[in-house]
This record gives sequence, structure tokens and C-alpha cells, in this order.
Amino acid sequence: MKTRLLISAFAFTLAQPVLAEGQNPMATGSAMAWQCAPCHGTNGQEFLEAMPPLAGMSVEQFTKAMLAYREGTRPSVIMDRVARGFTDAEIDAMAVWFEKQPLKQWENTSLTEANAAHQSAQTQATGGQK
Amino acid sequence: MSQLENKTFDQKITRRDLIKIFGATAVAASGIFGASSQAFAKSAAHIVVLGGGVGGATFAKYLRFADPDVKITIIEQDAEYITCLRSNDVIAGMHTLDELTFNLDTIKNKYNVNVVIDKVVGADFDKKTVSTAKGERFSYDKLVVSPGIDFKFEDYEGYDAELAEGEFPHAYKAGPQTLKLREQLLAMPQGGTAIIATPQNPFRCPPGPYERASFFAEYFKKHNPTAKLLVLDPKDRFTKDVPFKKAWERLYGYKSDNSLIEWVSGSEGGRVVRLDTANMMVETDGDDFKADLINIIPNQRAGVLAQKLGLTNASGWCPIERNTMESSLHKEVYVLGDSSIADAMPKSGFSANSQAKVCAQAIADTLKGEHPGTAIYSNVCYSLAGENYGVSIAAVYEVRDGLIQPKGESAGVSEITDKKAQPILEAVYQKNWQREFVKDVFS
Repeated sequence: MKTRLLISAFAFTLAQPVLAEGQNPMATGSAMAWQCAPCHGTNGQEFLEAMPPLAGMSVEQFTKAMLAYREGTRPSVIMDRVARGFTDAEIDAMAVWFEKQPLKQWENTSLTEANAAHQSAQTQATGGQK
Repeated sequence: MSQLENKTFDQKITRRDLIKIFGATAVAASGIFGASSQAFAKSAAHIVVLGGGVGGATFAKYLRFADPDVKITIIEQDAEYITCLRSNDVIAGMHTLDELTFNLDTIKNKYNVNVVIDKVVGADFDKKTVSTAKGERFSYDKLVVSPGIDFKFEDYEGYDAELAEGEFPHAYKAGPQTLKLREQLLAMPQGGTAIIATPQNPFRCPPGPYERASFFAEYFKKHNPTAKLLVLDPKDRFTKDVPFKKAWERLYGYKSDNSLIEWVSGSEGGRVVRLDTANMMVETDGDDFKADLINIIPNQRAGVLAQKLGLTNASGWCPIERNTMESSLHKEVYVLGDSSIADAMPKSGFSANSQAKVCAQAIADTLKGEHPGTAIYSNVCYSLAGENYGVSIAAVYEVRDGLIQPKGESAGVSEITDKKAQPILEAVYQKNWQREFVKDVFS
């Protein structure tokens, strides 16, 4: 048990990029993705409104869109402002998380399905390490 | 609420109390008697949430995402909740109160949350219990409080809660007062004058009074074109004032001789100090103003529950730890939403929803014995300056130098452009957002 804890602590240290003084470690993909829900649906699973669903969107599509908003090369209403709040690594972490979410309306998704999708995204994000 | 007492409970918690709270099986199976609180927290911690509005409901849902096993109880005094957000639409006849009314059924059933409709009358932070008007007592491991706002009627001579319930509704909590204000707007004489007196910072929904002002002007334009709205403001600036004023110019002749809206800033004597109900008049620092309709939106402070539980400081609001929303005054008590001091974040439903998610993850991490992760918050507020004209403000937030501050270059309001489609699109997004937002909170 003790050995396992030590190993995961070590892995965690390795995974963290070197931070400048006063800079926060990155928030998790899910913590950032949750902040998108008021407009894009719980877990990005809103398929009935003008804002596009994010669930199941490919990493490439998500990343390209966010970078274009951030750099001002894609016209937008508010997404340019939102995108300017995120670094490349943060955008990537959200992209990985959203890609694993079910392509269905949130109201028709069970808690079990949601948990499984979350676990799958976590596994992807950590390269199989817990 | 006025009956609330900040009482210490001397009685021991009996086995029967615990059975009432957790159910007989839970008590028998978990064998918590004699176990350390740490061991108990690990097996089945109990998180009690006071308030089932935007903050409380979002928190319960997302805590269930973050921790499948934790026991969650929401104590809310009303079986139904009317969202303050979009209640200006009810005044303008674009929504009904029914469309803004929600309950906690899905939170209860889908997310396995114990929902108690009862009024909290006291809490003991040492013994970690909460008691209710119906005589129930709940033990908690973590207490989450999301109590909204309270009004400072004492800042206005001649105004009080009773008048607000009668002929002078503030209509700044959605409900009967909202309908009353609509009725008064429709009953205005042709060519009459209305007054909206806006509050001093900080207050719930910073664009709310100005959206309401826009709706009054839009109503006048259609149905009472010689009427006039006076916005009396104790401040010299307000949120989104640049795009709001541009919209007023475009839609309501603002700054022209025939403007439907006149805005009086604090420096120009806009701060209301007295209401004279007999003469239908308000007195400000600068002048007296007579009107046919007077809508004072009072200055505000943290909700009554937060005050009575001793969670507020001298400012009237609740200081919190920025990374977790835990009260700076009481350990293991968390404050969400309008009542909290969240620095650059506005007191909005979106902010409460955002804070609830950060808090849920932080509590789940703490219960697992882990250090809470980095907090990330956000806020997007769409307001309508007319039925088909939207203005927005948005930011992503992080904790920096001990304060919640905009992250990167995200903070900003709608740009003023000549693109005719832009404000129309913002209005479309506003309507989409409202439908989506309440789903993220309640379903």
C-alpha cells in the first residue's frame, strides 16, 4: 500500500510541468469542462440549442475551434472572450475529456453512463495511469 | 427566517436521532459508533446543503458526479423554486412565472439526493448539526450554504419589506412582486413617468436593473410612446454600460430630446434616500422626483440564513477561501453564490453554478484525503436591451494573489460594431442559454 502511494506520488510529480512562481497547476479536464455546461449542456450533451454540443466532438475539431477563437481568426459572439482564458494545454485537456462523452441528450443519459464516460476520459488523460 | 436562532444544542445525539437521519440500515451497517470521524467520513460522509436554488441544486448534482457514495441532503424551505434569472421577461410579458418555476424532483431521483422541504432554524458548528422548524436535526460532515440575498431597506427612509409586498414591489426576487410590477407597468397613464432606482454595489445580477430599464422603454415605445423612464443610480458606472447605452441610443432615442430613458448617475444626484408613498415621490441626494410608478431595487447583503449563522463579516457578505468556497470564518462550512465574497465574479446565477462545481470537486477531493485541485470559475451573462437585442459579459476566472481574478485575456463585454446581426445573435444565445442553464442546474 505504502509503495503504491509512493509510486503514484512520484508519477504525479513527473506529470506536473515546471511552474513559474505564483502560477497555478492546471485544473483537471473535467473541472474545466464542467464550466462549459451552462451553455453547452451538462457534459456537453445539449443537442437542441444554438450552441453546439461538445460531447463526442473530436479532439482535433475542438482544439482547432478554440485556438481559432482565441487567435481571433474565427468570428464569434462570445467564444473569443472565453477561449482567451485558456492555454493550449488546458484546451487539449478539455478536448480529450469531451471526446469521450456520449453523443446523446443529457436527459436521456444515466448516471452510470456518465460515470463510465468520465472514467474513460480520465484514463485517456493519464495515459492509463490512475 | 426571522425566527432563526443561532443556538447551541446541548442534547446528545441519540441513536434514534441518527437512525432518523441516516436510516436504520446505514447506522447498523456502517457501525459508526465509536469510530473516528475520519473513518466515518471515508465510509459515508454526509453533506448537508442549505438552500435548493441555483447554487444548492447544482452543488448536489455535481457532488454526485464527483463522489458516487457520499450522502447528500438538501434542506429547502419552498417546494418550488422560481429563478430570478429571466424574471425581467415576466415583467415584459415574454415569459410566465410558471416557465421559470422548478423543483428538486430530478435532483432527488436521478442523483440520489435526500430532499427535505423544511426551514432551517439553527446550526451548531461544533457539534456539526442543523435543526429545522419541524423539529428535525441533521448531522453533517460538511455543510454547504447557498442562501441568496437579503435587502437593506434601512438605507431608504420610508421604504420597508411590507411596502415591497404591497404597492412598491422591488421585484428583485421572482414571485408575486414580479407580477405586481408588470401590472403597474401596464396600468401606467399615457405620458406618465416611471422610476427605477438601482442599488449600490455589490448586488445580485449587476445588469438586472438596466435590462429591466430597457424592457420598460421597449414597452413604452410600443404602448405608451410619450411616457418616460428615469433610472436613478447611486453609481457613475454600471456593468455593460457602454453596450447598454449604445442599445438605448439605437432603440429608445437615448440622449435625444425624445428619449424614453433618462439615466441619472450618482454624481448627478441619482442616489435615492427617501420614499414618499403619499405623494408618489422619491428624494435623492440632488432632487425630488415624482412618478406614476416607483420601483426601488434596494441595496443588498448576504441572505438572512448566512447572517444568522454568523457567516458574514462587517461587509455584510461571506468571506470564503478562494480555492474551495469554504467559509473563512467556520471550517467545514461552505458558502456558495450571491452571499459569498468572490472578488471579480459578479453575483449571478452563472457564478453560483460555477462556484457550486468547484466546491463539489473540492469537497470530494477533501473527503478522499486529497488536496483540492486548482479552481477554475467562469461567468457569462447575456442581458437583453430589447426583445431582439442582446449584450453580454464573459470571463474565465482563476485564483491569483489570493483573489478570484479573470484568467488570461478572457474578461470583456460585447464589442460595439455596426454588424446588425451581432445583437440579434446575442439575443438568440440569451434565450438558448436560459433553457440550457436551468437544465444544468435542475436536471
